[in-house]
Amino acid sequence: MIRMLPARAHTRLMTLRFAGLIVAIWAWNSAAAQGSSAAPDSTQRQIDALAQSLKAVQAQLQELMQQNRALLQRQQELEQQLAKTLPAAPSPAVAAQPPQNPVPPASPTPPPPSGPSPAANASSPFGDLRLWGYGEIYYTRPTHDEKESQADLARAVFGIGYVFDSRTEFNSEFEIEHAVSSADDPGEFEVEQFYIDRRLNDAVTLRAGLFLMPFGLLNEHHEPTNFYGVQRNFVETLIIPSTWREGGFNLHGDTGFGLEWNAGLTTGFDLSKWNFAPEFPLYTTALELEDSDSAPLQTTHQELALANAQHLSQYAALGYYGVPGLTLGAAISTGDAVKVPAPPNVPIPGNQRVTLWEGHARWTPGNLDLSALYAHGAISNLSIANASNPGSPNPIPSQFYGYFVQGAYTAWNQDDYRFAPFVRWERYDMGSRYEGTSGPVVPTGLVPISANPGDYGYWPINQDRVWTVGANFYTSPHLVFKADYQWFHYNSDFSRFDLGLGLAF
Amino acid sequence: MLRKSVAGWGAFGLAMAIALSGCGGSVAGGAASSSASSSAATAAAAAAAAGKAIFFDTSLSVSGQQSCSTCHVPSHAFTADPVTDHGLPVPLGGPNMDQTGFRNAPSLMYASFTPPFSLSNGPTGGFFRDGRASSLAAQAQQPFVTPFEMANSDAAEVVGRLRNSAATLAAFVAAYGESVLSDPEATLQDMGLAIAAYETQDDEFHPFSSKYDYWLQGQAQLTAQEQNGLNLFNNPTKGNCTACHPSQAQGYSSHALFTDFTFDNIGVPRNWLIPANTQGSVSPIDGAPESTVLTPVDVPADAEYAYYDMGLCGPFAPSQSDVNARPILSATTSLCGIFKVPTLRNIAVTSPYFHNGVFTDLHQVLEWYVTRDINNNTGNNPNPVAAGPGGNPYEAVGTFYTAANGTPDLYEYNDLPVEYDANVNVGEVPYTPPTFGGGQAPTLSAADIDDIVAFLCTLTDGFDPQNPTAYNVPAQCQPTAATSAAR
Repeated sequence: MIRMLPARAHTRLMTLRFAGLIVAIWAWNSAAAQGSSAAPDSTQRQIDALAQSLKAVQAQLQELMQQNRALLQRQQELEQQLAKTLPAAPSPAVAAQPPQNPVPPASPTPPPPSGPSPAANASSPFGDLRLWGYGEIYYTRPTHDEKESQADLARAVFGIGYVFDSRTEFNSEFEIEHAVSSADDPGEFEVEQFYIDRRLNDAVTLRAGLFLMPFGLLNEHHEPTNFYGVQRNFVETLIIPSTWREGGFNLHGDTGFGLEWNAGLTTGFDLSKWNFAPEFPLYTTALELEDSDSAPLQTTHQELALANAQHLSQYAALGYYGVPGLTLGAAISTGDAVKVPAPPNVPIPGNQRVTLWEGHARWTPGNLDLSALYAHGAISNLSIANASNPGSPNPIPSQFYGYFVQGAYTAWNQDDYRFAPFVRWERYDMGSRYEGTSGPVVPTGLVPISANPGDYGYWPINQDRVWTVGANFYTSPHLVFKADYQWFHYNSDFSRFDLGLGLAF
Repeated sequence: MLRKSVAGWGAFGLAMAIALSGCGGSVAGGAASSSASSSAATAAAAAAAAGKAIFFDTSLSVSGQQSCSTCHVPSHAFTADPVTDHGLPVPLGGPNMDQTGFRNAPSLMYASFTPPFSLSNGPTGGFFRDGRASSLAAQAQQPFVTPFEMANSDAAEVVGRLRNSAATLAAFVAAYGESVLSDPEATLQDMGLAIAAYETQDDEFHPFSSKYDYWLQGQAQLTAQEQNGLNLFNNPTKGNCTACHPSQAQGYSSHALFTDFTFDNIGVPRNWLIPANTQGSVSPIDGAPESTVLTPVDVPADAEYAYYDMGLCGPFAPSQSDVNARPILSATTSLCGIFKVPTLRNIAVTSPYFHNGVFTDLHQVLEWYVTRDINNNTGNNPNPVAAGPGGNPYEAVGTFYTAANGTPDLYEYNDLPVEYDANVNVGEVPYTPPTFGGGQAPTLSAADIDDIVAFLCTLTDGFDPQNPTAYNVPAQCQPTAATSAAR
């Protein structure tokens, strides 16, 4: 729409000017008609007047033609600028942001979208500045524990980008979680991305700053229009700590035959933040599970907030989209973490290394949208740390993993409307192996779950199998209504019904 | 005040002046700096030496029989020796050593790690059991002029006694100079600083030499019972002890201190062996040997008994000479009955327990913790849990809440006016036990209690990894007949 504005304005202007000309000719005609019946001595005066009018009309016509040429020239300039900022062969390297087309991509799968959306790019009122945003609102009702029902403006995110030149651009996103952020409220205000991209050549781009890690299907494309289900899946929340970002730099690019690559050096994890002795469960509902920072990497990632940078992590990611309708990807990150505080006078030999890897696939034949993902994390050298905290309900796991398979089907698609039911099965285990302990001491029976007298519940366990069945209903590519139901195998009280509203622009 | 300030920090100020001149004025900066830091170390050592001399000097008391060490005995982890106190839970003192105090003397071990008092995240820190002193030094001055302790009438009297105690005076003058003696207030403050320096610098107060510490370092093995006791200690639905007595380092030290320095009202039973509790109380007094008790203040008009010790909200107020002390909180009724969480290091050798010393052994303490609200058998318990299969294994223990004559009291939290019952912590394990099948059972079995006590005994300093059999832990570290019978 915005891109069309100059041409439409031009057309409208021309219409007005030609209308003026027609009025002038009509006036001349009617004057001539009147003149035929007028006295001869006045005829010469009328001819003079008409000649003057004609001159005036000619001058106006000249002026209009000049303006028309100027407008055409301006339109050509704008189109050239647009062509520069939207290269014909987009680099997948800058795929991260801002939000792109909603799932599923029309079959065949297009290459990962590049750079800011056209609408954002052409925000001519702001010149080289670009704005975008997304957000989501949940309603969640645990069906076994309805008093825990909640409604939440889970996130409102605003993006700001700036194109410095044809090779350099800046992108950032600022997020408010849970609506209100203050000392007395549960919300957070955080910088989710803040980086510079500099294209070194057509194949390689350098990125530096705080950026999203290219892991999984969701982490970089986490706008609510981009995933099925009201909430993000658990594997890409609890194992891959979406929205996972680190500070550092990377090189990324595209081979031109459907293979994209990305490798970088970033900040890592801080295990000294670990809480071995939670008095009460860190979460008692599925919603709290997602928000509680209880998962191994959720609770230890640093988000570039005075991040300890003694150790850096390395990562590499590959993606392949060369076969229409198919996307394959894998990534690995590894690096030494800030160590768990050791007992005094006990040097813990060596480092504690955090490694996370994942593989994923997505296939979109026809109206189907099938995807699967496996992610596995490991933390080394934990035996002393865990052994010095016996009886802990929350020791640090040395291994954790999760995987899911998901199928969606576009059952109805008309104009911008689209209705796509889906089903997902996922398995996560936030502590599949431990060193120095046999595992968390999980209290049994009804236990106090807060300091409020009489507030009893069951202590959750840190693994589950979850079925999710639901549907996304798009009224446009930018706006989606969602509903789903989730069954939890182990933490059965977490089972819940969800409604959601998501938007991205 | 100015003189106090100058004199009080004289020793350290001199050292700092030397250090500054060393850094800025000498060409041979490194050597001078080194010399200055050694001077500072010398000054600090002199202060600690003076503090040690004062700490053990009974001649500074009116009775001539009491020093800091009388109530803070090194062999009892710097708590009181019950034998000295005629078996009372509170120390004896005063001009004739026949007046009783009001609270069980706390251990001074690890006290130097205590943070200043703060209300910002709930009451935390400060010195004395009610956090009313702003620092270790401010706390250490007070017993010299407390009527039921060393009983000097004022600072001048203390300084007069110091002048007459040659060895202590020499140590003091070596650290703080002679001129300060002309100002008694400043001298008493320096005496407090000296004692604080001793308690801070001398490893005797914080050796971190328990079996637990050596176990963490891989130089000792916990027995299966001790290990299980630690598990239960940490388990949030069993002992949950670590919630207030963290077994993890908290930032006050690189070691775990087994206190988070917060305050809590846990509703401990009234101790009728404290003479102040018996004075004018409704219940009859059953023979209290020492009964010269000062008139307490801030006693509620509708008290069931005439006197209550309510911790943060009174009866004791911060000293006027302690300019950095916390405010008087007697009007903040939500804080009534709240006391500072003590360290559990050396807990096996610091009997009796709690601010009023109501329990004398750790098994009792744990039995009370886990049955407080389910087996008190008092007049206001709506759901007493009967003994029997699946029932309360501790019923034989009986209620811990008794009137002065030993019969069950009408009220459960009987060391607190009824109107403040809502201040008692009833939301956390082990007070709030898990529910099973609709009923409640204690979170710890008798065997569990034995195991936790065994673990607590490993917090006793003085373990020698080269000679583990010489580890001196008291008899109460063994399983008791009562709990063994209840297994």
